[in-house]
Amino acid sequence: MTRAKRNLGLILGAAAIALITTLVITWQVFGGVTDFGEFIASVTAQQDYLNLILINLLVGVSVALFVVELRWQALRVIGTVAFALLLGYFVTFIFNLDSANRFASGQFKVLIVSDAPPVENADMDLEYGQTRGGEFNKQGVAEPLRIAEFRFEGSAGDMISALAFAGSRNSAVNLQLAILDEAGNEIGAATGATPEQVQAFEDLRSENDAVLQGLNLPADGVYVLVVQPEPIPTGVTLSEAFKATNEAYKAFLLGPISRPNRWAIWIQDSFTLIMVGIAIAIVFQAEQFSLGAEGQLYLGALVSGIIALNMTNVSPLIAVPLALIGAAGIGFLYGLLPGALKAYLGANELVSTLMLNVVALKFFDLVLANQLKPPEAGFNSSAMFPASAVLPPVVGGSQVTIAIFIVVGVVLFAWYLLTRTPLGYEIRMVGSNLKFAAYGGVNTKRTIMLSMAISGAVAGLAGAHLSMGIFRQLVQNMSFGLAFEGVVVALLARNNPLVIPFTGLLYAYLRAGAQFMERDANVSFEIVRVIQAIIILLITAEGLLSFSRKRKSAVPAPAAPPPAPASAVEGAANV
Amino acid sequence: MALLEARDIVKIYPNGVLANNGVSLSVEKGEIHAVVGENGAGKSTLMKILYGLEQPTSGSIQLRGEQVVLSGPHKAIAQGIGMVHQNFMLVDSFTIAENIVLGSEPRSGMTRDLKKAVADTEQLSKTYGLHLDPMAKIIDTPVGMRQRVEILKALYRGAELLILDEPTAVLTPGETTDLFNAIRNLINEGKTVIFITHKLREVMDISDRVTVMRDAKLVGMVNTSETSIPDLARMMVGREVFMQVERPPVVRGAPVLEVNDMLYANDAGRKVVNHISFRVCRNEILGIAGVEGNGQTELVEVLTGLRDVTTGEATVNGVDVLNQGPRHVREHKVAHIPEDRLTNGVARDASIADNLIIDSYYRPPFKQHLGLQPEAIRKHGREMIAEFGIVAASEDTHVGSLSGGNMQKVIVAREFSSNPQLLIAAQPTRGVDIGAIEFIHQQLVDKRTQGLAILLVSADLQEVMKLSDRIMVMYNGEIAAFLPNTPDLTEEKLGMYMLGAVHQTPEELEAAR
Repeated sequence: MTRAKRNLGLILGAAAIALITTLVITWQVFGGVTDFGEFIASVTAQQDYLNLILINLLVGVSVALFVVELRWQALRVIGTVAFALLLGYFVTFIFNLDSANRFASGQFKVLIVSDAPPVENADMDLEYGQTRGGEFNKQGVAEPLRIAEFRFEGSAGDMISALAFAGSRNSAVNLQLAILDEAGNEIGAATGATPEQVQAFEDLRSENDAVLQGLNLPADGVYVLVVQPEPIPTGVTLSEAFKATNEAYKAFLLGPISRPNRWAIWIQDSFTLIMVGIAIAIVFQAEQFSLGAEGQLYLGALVSGIIALNMTNVSPLIAVPLALIGAAGIGFLYGLLPGALKAYLGANELVSTLMLNVVALKFFDLVLANQLKPPEAGFNSSAMFPASAVLPPVVGGSQVTIAIFIVVGVVLFAWYLLTRTPLGYEIRMVGSNLKFAAYGGVNTKRTIMLSMAISGAVAGLAGAHLSMGIFRQLVQNMSFGLAFEGVVVALLARNNPLVIPFTGLLYAYLRAGAQFMERDANVSFEIVRVIQAIIILLITAEGLLSFSRKRKSAVPAPAAPPPAPASAVEGAANV
Repeated sequence: MALLEARDIVKIYPNGVLANNGVSLSVEKGEIHAVVGENGAGKSTLMKILYGLEQPTSGSIQLRGEQVVLSGPHKAIAQGIGMVHQNFMLVDSFTIAENIVLGSEPRSGMTRDLKKAVADTEQLSKTYGLHLDPMAKIIDTPVGMRQRVEILKALYRGAELLILDEPTAVLTPGETTDLFNAIRNLINEGKTVIFITHKLREVMDISDRVTVMRDAKLVGMVNTSETSIPDLARMMVGREVFMQVERPPVVRGAPVLEVNDMLYANDAGRKVVNHISFRVCRNEILGIAGVEGNGQTELVEVLTGLRDVTTGEATVNGVDVLNQGPRHVREHKVAHIPEDRLTNGVARDASIADNLIIDSYYRPPFKQHLGLQPEAIRKHGREMIAEFGIVAASEDTHVGSLSGGNMQKVIVAREFSSNPQLLIAAQPTRGVDIGAIEFIHQQLVDKRTQGLAILLVSADLQEVMKLSDRIMVMYNGEIAAFLPNTPDLTEEKLGMYMLGAVHQTPEELEAAR
């Protein structure tokens, strides 16, 4: 009764989470406006908005599944990601420590305004009414300009105004100036401009420019106008860095759901990651550390691409399934190969799959360059696929295609396989304890091979999504190591196929966010690598923790405990 | 005055196991002192206490007449006590010299002085006659050499008293001879050696005095020259049987398992199971007695399909079961309680329900139509938990979180629930608490009375004698004797066969199989 009640509560809670997630994302994507009419207008302006909302509903369902499957563990996953994001924030902050430097560098100009007639002297740098300029602290220059001096000649009683101002719209340099007489004594200086002065002199751009207004020259002779950037106080450095970091993180965290086209980039990327994550989870469930997804993905892309290129006048109802079957088939075979090597020859699957990845990648490049590349193509890519052999979009104007059905199918398939079939049971038992599975009569060789082959088929489908859904042609370096990101997705989900949609979406969100951060806030994409590294470190550390806990509780209660742990203690004491 | 004197050592582990119960040990300087006893007699615990790895619950230790508290191995090392464990703790990729000095390397400035390490190692090996190549990598050296490295490592740290924990268990006969010569060298150099073993012949060969332990207690200490193998065997295994299981008399039925002239040779070519023939019948428990490592483990693994046999045959109800894998054996109504339940018997990360169907997941009711039936699997789990009294939160509980006894009950539940005709039970109660032992024993006897044929392998002689209808003694891969389990059969008599002192003739064996 209480259990049923608790389950009911869980289901209701999950449904609420799903709904709220759906609404929040949808609302954000369509501009985040509070006015209902405006919101509806923005929704209906989008092509296929209903499909977009339905996909958001699936995103919500993924979040709910994540909570239901992991319960309190979900908090740990969220905590891991949040902690990684926090550390990423600090790294970004350090990246941004130089953002105040824009006040100390950039193009500048100087001008001396006077009603008095200019003195013509070819030896001088400047005369009244002339504009001269330069650039302070230019990047990539061996000896950048730090301070500029301009000599000019004037007569006694000349009433002049000296102006130093940013030289272009992009320059934010904060200037100060001084005028020295021939002996080097300062006869006037300025560090800024009042709002009235900015109004009065049309050359001035901001109060960061410097104006020395109404100076009477004491005698005839040569004077020097000295211009340099103002020194930056530490407080400004820090506040500027915070401002830039906050801006970057805002782009990072909200970028992927700020517009429908950005949302599409997030979603289409998550399709690949979810499929690759599922592929990795299947082999990881069998405790096979196969990292062959990258190679299988390329071969899947290649085979689906070749089929697609040859399906010019065929109905999509034939062309698309055929290409998908081809991709899954080649992935299956390319997973079976290292699986058989492992099962029958004991070849380490980590080494063999990593090497086979290189083989697949180079084969892909070879076929692309020598067979598929049209003669007129500028870079290494095939012709665009015929319209009948691409995955049709479900949200118009985007690459969010019917691959959504493949993704949902793959997730359900993996779940059914692992929890509801004898093979899945064998995979789990082989993964949990190979010797136990063998003792119980499981054909462990067959299980290992099939786990790697089925994983390969899924990775092949991910390749088909890349070629037929996203690029619609074959391109060199299509995946950019996406398959390895699948490892993070699978690890975050603890290899649970029902959690992988969430972790895949989450990870794709971080990737997309980084892309928009780079675009909007000029912070390098590498920050996501940093966050990724932190996540992997944290997960690994957590895994080690539970592993060592397991080891401790594994020692039962023998009258004479086995010597091994004791020797370990001795070893530790000796070191 | 004794070099080392341990008095009334009591050790109770936090889980309540009484490992040492008032044990005293006195070791004179310059002697080779053997400590013998069966597995679980408490030898290792006592040695760990002497090396500071465990703290005694009560009792005192005196070194050279002074009271010492050995709060850790570093204290023991500082007091000149060294220990060589059964499992070597060496860095495979380092050279011998590097391993010997590891942790107390000679230094020159900021770096290790490897030249001095090599010189020191050569010096040590010359002094004690333990010859080795200081520059060889551990990974390239044989086991006997690694043991020398361990001994030298202890000596390098200034050990005067060396504890060797079952040093011959991993050695070939030739290496054993070398080790004994080295030990004699150590004694000539003024060192003292404590030698733990359960091989009585070695005790007679090398030791000056022997301390015998049994059931966590001290049985006695004798001079080697004044004792004999049979005397020691009696001290080691002779003990009172205090738990009895009602074993109703039944007539033994038709043979279920028949083994004919079976030979299993391991990778090194040793005949671990050497041409043996026997049969197990309905309504019969055939117990295999023998000191561990005399072929019982391999025999069981061959019969259950985990190893392929070299020659010979074994049939279950007339069907050949050899060399065809565990699935084939299980399909022919054979159940198997494995010797090492953590390695073979369970998947720790999997639920109880999943652990209970490893032999039957592919058949109804667990698999029907397209796939597995989770509800049937869990219902089976619940039934087994209730029937076998497994203490667990639910059928979804991971087996790894259960106690040893409950884990074993999961295995017993699975193997019994498959309705076998032959049960092969290896060490069915090892490391299990008293309550679970009683339960498992009762189950075994009940099933036997109902007609099951049981092959029981146990290192616990008491268990074998309590449960078996007949006892087969294995020694060195061969059958030493078939003995009906009559009330006049004593552990001493079994011990004679187990330790290879006596052997039945082939005619006697043929008549009794």
